[in-house]
Amino acid sequence: MLQDKDVLIQVKDLKKQFKHIEVLKGINIDIHKGEVVAVIGPSGSGKSTFLRCLNLLEQPTSGQIIFEGSDLTDKKTNINHLRQKMGMVFQSFNLFANMTVLQNLTVAPVKVKGMSKTEAEELATQLLGRVGLADRKDAYPIQMSGGQQQRVAIARALAMQPDVMLFDEPTSALDPEMVSEVLDVMKQLASENMTMVVVTHEMGFAREVADRVVFIDQGVIQEEGNPEEFFGNPKNQRLKEFLSKVL
Amino acid sequence: MISLEAMSKIWQGYSNFYWTGLVNTLWIAALAVVLGSVLGLVIASGRMLTVKKDDNILLVILKYIIKGICSIYVEVLRATPLIVQVFVIYYGATSLGLKLGNATATRIMWGFVAVALNSGAYLSEVVRSGIGAVSGGQMEAARCVGMNHWQAMRYVILPQAIRNILPALCNEFVTIIKETSVLSMVGIADLMFQAQAVASTTYIFVEPYIIAAIMYFVIVFTLSKLISVFERRMSRSVTR
Repeated sequence: MLQDKDVLIQVKDLKKQFKHIEVLKGINIDIHKGEVVAVIGPSGSGKSTFLRCLNLLEQPTSGQIIFEGSDLTDKKTNINHLRQKMGMVFQSFNLFANMTVLQNLTVAPVKVKGMSKTEAEELATQLLGRVGLADRKDAYPIQMSGGQQQRVAIARALAMQPDVMLFDEPTSALDPEMVSEVLDVMKQLASENMTMVVVTHEMGFAREVADRVVFIDQGVIQEEGNPEEFFGNPKNQRLKEFLSKVL
Repeated sequence: MISLEAMSKIWQGYSNFYWTGLVNTLWIAALAVVLGSVLGLVIASGRMLTVKKDDNILLVILKYIIKGICSIYVEVLRATPLIVQVFVIYYGATSLGLKLGNATATRIMWGFVAVALNSGAYLSEVVRSGIGAVSGGQMEAARCVGMNHWQAMRYVILPQAIRNILPALCNEFVTIIKETSVLSMVGIADLMFQAQAVASTTYIFVEPYIIAAIMYFVIVFTLSKLISVFERRMSRSVTR
């Protein structure tokens, strides 16, 4: 198929049904290299399901997800291989509880990618420095605050040197005073031209950092646009109602 | 009347009986727990099979059969007394001619198999809940950095599951030490059997058993205490 060279992920008519509830009713979107896409919407709108379909944590019921030329929904596609290029950050951090911070960052590069241990540790140390946690490399996740854990989780995803980072409400489980330390790391990442898809409730972040904001409600994209247009002059009635409640 | 004098006399005359019995009890229990754990892991894996959307029909049927067999196994062994299982397996196997070189070896083997099978049923539940207690997010996170299912199990899920399972596994060993006493009923020379032998030789029927009770108590009590110390130290370290 023909594909715009700059398109990293192409989503075509994505549908997802759980039992009898249709959560996604046909999502179409192109995500471009270096783009930061913020996905917002009321809870239960399907925005997290959409994100989890992008790396097949949820198996789509129908539709296509084309990432770097491979169709992820094709059974012949090696999903483990493609996931290495898609970093994921969860609401609940999900750091490996049996490993130190350093091990969290090196296990996948070494065991999955076949990187040497020294090389992986060098990369990990450098990444921990970037998220401001170089001194905590020997700590276990349980010994850290939520904000610290989430920064480690971002570094862990980056250690695989992914082409895109998916964020599933990365600040929703954090105490308010820790939100900014995580958002700062994400802003820095955006400024380095990382492709990011961020499901979030942080309207300030969406407005300031995103290149494009997408509003999902009732399983479809109701409106999308650049932040000024999106927040300044919303057209969709549901989006207007939503923004009036959250802003 | 229980007399200390009788007890000390019995101990002087027959202590080697008891030591032999104790050694047999311990190694049978230890081996049964080891085999039971392996069996428990296999049974638990069988019960945890999930049918996926794109499995073909034969695989689906096969998975249901395996799950069914594993469930029946666990339910049957948990709902019948160990002594009945020992008798059925021992007499069943010998009547089918499944014997080792000599009678003692045959007894020990089938008695041991019965205890291991029984313990496997209990341990499969321990394994299942130990794996189930690892949060689902751990598997998702492991898959998201590109690990396949088995890598995720090996590097992330099982190390945490073992931490959950180990204390229960040690407790199972302690329980098995006591339960192997039923093996004396099919003539295996464990601690209980040796106490019976002493009783029938000396015609003294209380003191020999009290000595056995003391030995069981010292072993089981000490081990239980050690386990709880060990458990506390584990929970104090890195996780939870």
